[in-house]
Amino acid sequence: MDGVLWYVLTGTRGGENRVRILRTLDERPRNANKLAEALELDYTTVRHHLDVLCDNDVLRKQGGDYGAVYLPTDRARQHWETVEQIMEQVE
Amino acid sequence: MSVWLQVIWAAAALNVVLLLGLSYVWGRNYAKFRSKHTLGLAAFGLILLAENALAVYIFYFHPELSQWIAAQAPIAHLAVGGLRLLELVALAFLAWVTWD
Repeated sequence: MDGVLWYVLTGTRGGENRVRILRTLDERPRNANKLAEALELDYTTVRHHLDVLCDNDVLRKQGGDYGAVYLPTDRARQHWETVEQIMEQVE
Repeated sequence: MSVWLQVIWAAAALNVVLLLGLSYVWGRNYAKFRSKHTLGLAAFGLILLAENALAVYIFYFHPELSQWIAAQAPIAHLAVGGLRLLELVALAFLAWVTWD
């Protein structure tokens, strides 16, 4: 899991925005719309990053299709030290 | 210039293009995160970029060497190109997951 976190968050082009998404969702779970607003990012960009993070078991979706909120998985929580270490470097 | 030699330098040139993209992403991430992991990726990208730039030089601007290899040992010439093509496939996958 640590290797996946490092690569998905710091090895790729969209890594920085994924870190920002993860930090915002750590404060409290939100849906894609609210997340796009909070981060001033394009909705489709946010959706793409959410899909990548879900695909890698970093985030999970909770609730119905529309307005489903995203939150960190238990697996990501177990490795939260790594996530915090990465988050410290962004803003 | 033989067709195979053209394939080899074209593969090396494509590797250079892919590695420029990868080094750009990894270099930018290193500037942002300043971690051991991002430094390692950036260094890897730049060193492999140098390796492929040297290959382009040898195969395109200085073809005597590969023509000599081709004349002395055709199988070695074939193998050298095969290695370069496999590297291109590997880098294409790495670029696919990184440009995301």
